[in-house]
Amino acid sequence: MDIDDILREVDPTFHAVPQEKRNLQELTRAWIAERSAPELLPWPADGLFERVNDSIKRQIEKVEEMTGDMDPKTNFALIVIQTELERFKYLVRSYLRARISKIDRHTLHYLSTDALRARLSEMELAYATRHQALLHNHYLSSFLSSFPSALQNLNDSAGINMVETPDLESAVFIRLLKDTLVEGRGVDSDGAMDGRESDIVILRWADAKTLVENGSAELV
Amino acid sequence: MPMYGDQGNKLVQHAKRMQNLVHLPPYQTELVRAVTREVRDLDKDVASLLEPFQGSFDPSADQSTACTLLVNHLSMRRNKRCLLAYHRTRTDKLEELVWNGSDVLDLAGQQAGGGANGATAAADGGASSSLSPQEEDYVRQYGDLLAAYKGQWTDIDLTGSLEPPRDLFIDVRVLKDAGEIQTEYGAINLTKNSQFYVRQGDVERLIAQGYLQKLG
Repeated sequence: MDIDDILREVDPTFHAVPQEKRNLQELTRAWIAERSAPELLPWPADGLFERVNDSIKRQIEKVEEMTGDMDPKTNFALIVIQTELERFKYLVRSYLRARISKIDRHTLHYLSTDALRARLSEMELAYATRHQALLHNHYLSSFLSSFPSALQNLNDSAGINMVETPDLESAVFIRLLKDTLVEGRGVDSDGAMDGRESDIVILRWADAKTLVENGSAELV
Repeated sequence: MPMYGDQGNKLVQHAKRMQNLVHLPPYQTELVRAVTREVRDLDKDVASLLEPFQGSFDPSADQSTACTLLVNHLSMRRNKRCLLAYHRTRTDKLEELVWNGSDVLDLAGQQAGGGANGATAAADGGASSSLSPQEEDYVRQYGDLLAAYKGQWTDIDLTGSLEPPRDLFIDVRVLKDAGEIQTEYGAINLTKNSQFYVRQGDVERLIAQGYLQKLG
């Protein structure tokens, strides 16, 4: 703990971050992480998206309420709120799209085990299951149905496994949120370093994963 | 003399080339059929090769047969992968079109790259579709699936622009008559070649469909 930490603890504004702002921070962090990580990250379980959706709804209502007002002052406020709204929507949209594209790419992989399925939200799970069914049907009607029955599966694992998985060894950038030991595997030899808070490190996602999951680091 | 897998290779080359194209080239019905036939023929060969052994085939006793079997076996699997890759590349492309909101089934007959070329391409709309009937089905069903998923996010247009919004209002030029649209500042009549300063959220779909062009 250094002087900054102490100052932060006595700072009254630190513990009084309004819910709205915390939502935005969490959303931004989830969005950045999802876009940088090579595999699908767990769907936020603490109801972040319910909260974000609620606040988007509230803002839309407010915009509608204020539109009728011709006062130039409200007009300015209106533009600020609408700009904020558009940005919120963009974050949510981009986040969801990033997830969908990962799910689409490795559908069978994410549907294969319960642990992986748990990372998807209910809606995404329904989407992925249905999408896979559509694809399989399409293959079947296009050519697979005239194949010998032993060759009709989509998940043969004899020889090369047909189910593709995301590349967990690809590189990511992380920012350390506290001092911690960073270990990474290299091509010739493994390395380790004593990381300091706010250091930025590039390493394999497989190595970075535990640090990100226990909150010692965030993806950038 | 054609070799096992030649046809499959052609499919993969088609798929590879497709990745860099804006439009979707015609479905290779003949080639797909030929590769599928090859798989069936190989399977028949395998069955007839194995028949005399009555299920008690010993690879080390008859190495040449074992080798033939292995080659046949691998060729079948390879062909399957080629077919899957070909179809998957095409469906990916189709899905992309569905996400972009272009009317794929309409577009298919015209082979037009985007909405902007729609007017010129519509003239030869009578040409045969570049999609296979199965693909048309797939597009329809995927469109429904996407609509269902989107419908759960009522306030967020999932198919909207993925560019971060910078300004609330933008300058647009009208490329094609789009009729009248309602905005919170009243109705705007979008006639060709006119220019407007409008809220981005109001016209996003029209830009995607090629009616409007964003300026600056």
